[in-house]
Amino acid sequence: MKLRKNLAELLTIMNQDESVAENIVHWKTLPEKEGKVVDLPYDVHPEIKKALIKRNITRLYTHQNSAFKMANEKKSFVAVTPTASGKTLCYNLPVLQEIARNDNSRALYLFPTKALAQDQKSEMNELIDEIGIDIKSYTYDGDTPSNIRQVVRKAGHIVMTNPDMLHSAILPHHTKWVSLFENLKFIVIDELHTYRGVFGSHVANVIRRLKRICAYYGSNPIFICTSATISNPKELAEKLTGEDVQLIDNNGAPVGRKHFVFYNPPVVNKPLNVRRSATLESKKLASLFLENAVQTIVFARSRVRVEILLTYLQDLIQRKIGDKSIRGYRGGYLPKERREIEKGLRDGDIIGVVSTNALELGVDIGQLQVCIMNGYPGSIASTWQQGGRAGRRQDESVIILVASSSPLDQYIIQNPEYFFNRNPETARINPDNLIILVDHLKCAAYELPFQKEETFDGVEIDEILFFLTEEQVLHEQGNRWYWMNESFPAHNISLRSAAQENVVIIDQTDVSNIRVIGEMDRFSSMTLLHDEAIYLHQGIQYQVEKLDYEEKKAFVREVEVDYYTDANLAVSLKVLEEDKQKSDPAGDVAFGDVTVNAMATIFKKIKFGTHENIGSGPISLPEEELHTSASWISFSDRVTEGLSEKELEDSLIGIANVMRHVAPLFVMCDVSDLHVVPQVKASHSQQPTIFFYDRYPGGIGLSDYVYTHIDNILQEAENVIRMCPCEKGCPSCVGNEVQESNVKTTALTFIGKGRSGYVSAK
Amino acid sequence: MSLQNKLNRFKKDLTRIEADHPETVTIKEEPKTESLDERVEEKWDSFEAIPLSFDEQSCVLREKKLPMQTPLGNYTIQDYVQVIAKWNERQHLHPLSANQRDPEDLLFFDTETTGLGGGAGNTIFLLGMARVQNDGIQVRQYFLPAPGNEVALYHHFLNDVKDLKNLVTYNGKAFDWPQVKTRHTFVRDAVPQLPQFGHFDLLHGSRRIWRKSYESLRLSTVEKELLNIVRHEDTPGYLAPMLYFEFLKEKDPTILKGVFQHNELDVLTLISLYTHVSMILLDIGESTALTKSEQFEVARWFEVVGDLQEAKRRYKMLVESTKQIDASKALALLHKKEKEYDCAVALWESVLQQTEDVDVYIELSKVYEHRYKDLTKALHFAEEGYEHWKAKGRILRDKEKTDGAMFIKRIERLEQKTKIGNERIF
Repeated sequence: MKLRKNLAELLTIMNQDESVAENIVHWKTLPEKEGKVVDLPYDVHPEIKKALIKRNITRLYTHQNSAFKMANEKKSFVAVTPTASGKTLCYNLPVLQEIARNDNSRALYLFPTKALAQDQKSEMNELIDEIGIDIKSYTYDGDTPSNIRQVVRKAGHIVMTNPDMLHSAILPHHTKWVSLFENLKFIVIDELHTYRGVFGSHVANVIRRLKRICAYYGSNPIFICTSATISNPKELAEKLTGEDVQLIDNNGAPVGRKHFVFYNPPVVNKPLNVRRSATLESKKLASLFLENAVQTIVFARSRVRVEILLTYLQDLIQRKIGDKSIRGYRGGYLPKERREIEKGLRDGDIIGVVSTNALELGVDIGQLQVCIMNGYPGSIASTWQQGGRAGRRQDESVIILVASSSPLDQYIIQNPEYFFNRNPETARINPDNLIILVDHLKCAAYELPFQKEETFDGVEIDEILFFLTEEQVLHEQGNRWYWMNESFPAHNISLRSAAQENVVIIDQTDVSNIRVIGEMDRFSSMTLLHDEAIYLHQGIQYQVEKLDYEEKKAFVREVEVDYYTDANLAVSLKVLEEDKQKSDPAGDVAFGDVTVNAMATIFKKIKFGTHENIGSGPISLPEEELHTSASWISFSDRVTEGLSEKELEDSLIGIANVMRHVAPLFVMCDVSDLHVVPQVKASHSQQPTIFFYDRYPGGIGLSDYVYTHIDNILQEAENVIRMCPCEKGCPSCVGNEVQESNVKTTALTFIGKGRSGYVSAK
Repeated sequence: MSLQNKLNRFKKDLTRIEADHPETVTIKEEPKTESLDERVEEKWDSFEAIPLSFDEQSCVLREKKLPMQTPLGNYTIQDYVQVIAKWNERQHLHPLSANQRDPEDLLFFDTETTGLGGGAGNTIFLLGMARVQNDGIQVRQYFLPAPGNEVALYHHFLNDVKDLKNLVTYNGKAFDWPQVKTRHTFVRDAVPQLPQFGHFDLLHGSRRIWRKSYESLRLSTVEKELLNIVRHEDTPGYLAPMLYFEFLKEKDPTILKGVFQHNELDVLTLISLYTHVSMILLDIGESTALTKSEQFEVARWFEVVGDLQEAKRRYKMLVESTKQIDASKALALLHKKEKEYDCAVALWESVLQQTEDVDVYIELSKVYEHRYKDLTKALHFAEEGYEHWKAKGRILRDKEKTDGAMFIKRIERLEQKTKIGNERIF
C-alpha cells in the first residue's frame, strides 16, 4: 500500500507538479502569530478562577481581558474575533461572574441557529460543572420538551436560544418569563455579522421588542456581541441593538502558519478565453488531499454545485478511503442529518465535506487542515470566514481559492493584492423597511399595548398605529393602542426568508414510503424545482415530476441522468416613484420605488463534464410581483452617441453583467439579494438604463447604497473588463449572452466615456 | 414616497393575517349610530348587567339567579347536591372527589377570549361562573367593556372568588386558567393575588371515560350526546372574538347578547356534566348505561389514580358479567401485583379459553418460571406464545425485532434451565 503523505509533502507536490503549479497565480504565506496574553484579572470570582486554571487557562488573551473589563463597567460592546480565538470566553466569563455574584441575575444568549446554541450549551455546562456553583444553563428551542420548558422559564440563569424562537415563542409569551425579564443583565449576540440584510433587519426589530419588554419589567440589560471580521462591526452592532456599543478588536489569540493559494484553472480555448471548469479543478485539488486522508472542506457557491462536487468526489474517493467519509452539507438537509455530519467532522470519521456557506457559521466542526473554495465566495469577509475553517492554532494549514470564470472571480484572482489590501465589506441592515417594521409593530402590540407618543426604540410610529387601527388590527382606547385581532401575529412572520412559505420537497420514488426530504423558499423553487428540473440531494439525482405551486409541494422521483438543469428568469420593471436624484458625468442616477415582475421562462439541460446544452423546455409558473426599492443610472446621449442600436444593447448587457457581480462586492450581499437589469429604452425615461433592485419587498437598503456609490461601482466594472485577458469579451467579463464580436471594446468605450467626466472633473 | 402612500402601496403585505379557523364569517354591517352613553347603559340594564368601577376603570357584572328547579339536562340541582354528599361519604380519593367540599364550594368557570391559543395578547373579555347556593344557581359574568379596564375586571372578579376552594372547568387547566394567569401578570401590582384552589378539569375526566366512544369531546358534543342538553340558536364560541371586536366599534351591548348566553349555558352544562361523571364514579343511578368498554375505562381510571380496591371491584364485576378480556387481563395483573398468583392464573387461563393472547402466554410463562418454579409449563407457555406471536402480523418493524428477540431469549433460558435441572436429577 502506498504511504499517505502529510500536508507539508502535499504542499511540495503542489509546487512541483506542473499540472498544478502552473495554475497557481499567487501563493501567500501568512506567518504564524504569537498570542498576546495578560494575567487573569484579580477580581474574577475565586471559584471561576479555579475552574479556569483547572482547564489550563491561567491567562487571558488581550481581547478576552478587554471584554471582561468592559462588561464590568456595564458597557455594551462588540468583540471582533476570528475563528478559533477563544471568543466564547468574551461573553461566558462576564456572564458567569455576574451570576456567581448574584444568583438572581439572568442572561439571554442568541445564536443564529439552533445547532450553535446546542454546541454552546455543552461547552458552558462543562465549565459550570468545574466551577461547582449551581448555575443553570439551558437551550430553549423547538426541540425543548414541554416539561423542561417550565423549568427553563422559571429557573434558567442562562437561556440559549435563537432569534426565531425569541420572536415567536418567548416574547409573545413574556408573562411566563417574568423572572427572566425582571433580572436580565446580559443579552449575548453571537455571530453578529450574520445579522445582515433581510434577516438582520428582522432581528433588529425583534431586539426592539425585546428591549420594550425588558423596560416593562424594569430591567436594562447590556449587549455583548461577537463578530467575524467585517468593516463596520460597531455600526452594525449599534444598528441592531439600538445602543451605544464599544468596539473590542485587540485580538490576542495565536495563529498558525497559513498558506493562501490563488488558483486559476487553465485556459482551454484561447480566443474565447474559456477556462477549464472550476468545479473540475476543485475536484482535482480536493482529491489530492482526501486521498491522503487530510481533512478537507470544500465550499461551493450553490446547492447544485455542492451536489455535483459531492458526486464527483464520492465516486473518486470511495474505493480508496471507504464509504460515508465524504458528505455534503447545506440548507435543505434535515437537522438530524446535519448534526450527524458535524459530529462526524469533529470526531474525524468524516474526512471531507462539501458545503455551501451554511458551514461558514461557527458550527463546531473542529478545525480542518485544508479549505478549498470552488469559486470566490462573493465577499472578502466571507472568504476569510470560509478560509478560517482551515487552520489550527499550532499547525500549518492551506486555503485554496479556485476561480470560476465569472467576472468577479477573474478580477479577484488576477489582483490578489486587491484582495489582501482591501477592507472587508460592510454589513448592512435596514430595520425601518416598512414591511418588516410593520410586521414587528403588530407583534409588539400583541405583547404590550402601545401608548400615545411611545416610540419603537426611537422610531416614530403614530402614523403606522393609526393605519393598523383603520385596518382593524389594533383598537385605540384612551390614548393606547391594543391588539384586537384573533390571530397570533408572530406565527405569520418568518425572520428568514422573503417568501413566507417554503416549498416542501417530497420524494415519491418508493410509493410505499413517500417522504419529505427537504424544503426551499418559493422564489428559488421557480428556477430549481420546476417540472422536469433535476434536483440533487446528498448526491442523489431527483427529477421533479410536479411542482404544485399553489400547495407549495414539489414531487420528485430518483433518476440517473448525465445532466443537470439551469433555468432562465425573465424580469420586467416599472418605476413608480423617484425619491432621490443626482446628475452624474455618465448620466442621471436615481433612487426610488419600482415594481418588478419575474417569471421563469425556460430551462436548459446541461451535460456533466462537457457542460454542453443538450435540450431545453418551457416552464409554466405564474408571474411573481415584487414592490421594492431600486436605484438606476440612465446614460446620457453624450455617452451613447455614435453607437448603433445593437452595439448599445450589447454594451449595456455586458456592463450589467459585470455590475451584477461587482455591486454585491460593495454592498456585501449575496448576488441573489441585489438584482441588476439593463434596459435599452427604460419605459419611464426612454433612456438606456441599468437598474439595481433589492430582492426583498420594500428594500433593505442595498440599492440605496448603490445609489451613493455608483461611481465606484462603475470604476470597478471598467477595471474588470479592462483587466480581463480575453480579446473580444468573454464569459468572464461581459458574459456569454453577448454575441457581438467586438463587445469588449464597445463596452469599454462606453463606460470610458461615462467615466471620463470624473477624470476631467478631478 | 410619503409614509402614507407606502402604507397603502404595501397594504396587501402589511395586513396579511391568516384566518385561524376555516369558516369564513361575515358580520352584517349595521348602520353606524352615534352611541350615547345613556343609551348604552340602558342597553346594559336590559340584560341584567350593572357597571362596576375601580381606580378610574370599569367593568360590567351581569348577575342572574336561577331557581332550584332549573333543569340541567337530565339532572337537577338536587342530583348535584346528592353527589356532593356521596363524595363526602366516600373515604377513597379520586381527582374529581368533592370530599370535604360543600355544594357551594365548587365554582363552575369558563372564559371568552379575543383569540385562540395562549399568548400575552390574547385578552379575556368575559369571565363566567356559576355557583350552587341554598336557593338556586347564581350565575355571574364579569365583562371587560374595553381594553384598558383589566384592573377593574380582575379587582372585582378576584375579590368575588377570594375564598375559592375549587374550580370546575372544561379544558381550564390547559387554557382558561393559564390565560387568567397571563392577563393577571399585566395588572398584578394593582389587584389581589390569584387564589390557591383545587381544580377539576372535566375535559380530562371525559377523555378518560369516552375517548374511545366519540371522535370529538367538545363540550357541545358531550352535552348533546350524554346530558341531553339541546341549545336553540346558540352563538358558536368561535364567533365570540369577532362579535367582541364589533362591540368595541359599535358600543352596542346587544351585539354580545348571544355570547353572554353561550357562556352562561357553558357554565351550567359544567354543573350537569360534573353531576353525570360523579354519578358514574359513585355508582349512582344508571351507570350501566355505559358500554362495556366505557365501564372498563372507568375501572382503569380508578387503577391509575391508585384506588386499587375500587378498580378491582369494577374489573371483577365486568369479568363476572361479561368475561371481558381486557378486564380479565387487568384484574389478573392486579392479583399478580398483590401476589395472589392462583387468582391471576385462573383469569389468564380463562382468557386463553376465549382467545390466543400473546401477552397472557408471556405472563403465564413468567409466573410458572419464577413463582411456581414449574419450568416445563413455563417453557410450554413461552413456546405457545412464540408460535402465536409469529402467526400474528405486525406493523412496526423495530418492535417486531425486539419482541421476537425477547421470546427467543426466554425460550433459550428456559431450555437451558430445564437441562441443568434434568442433569441435577440424573
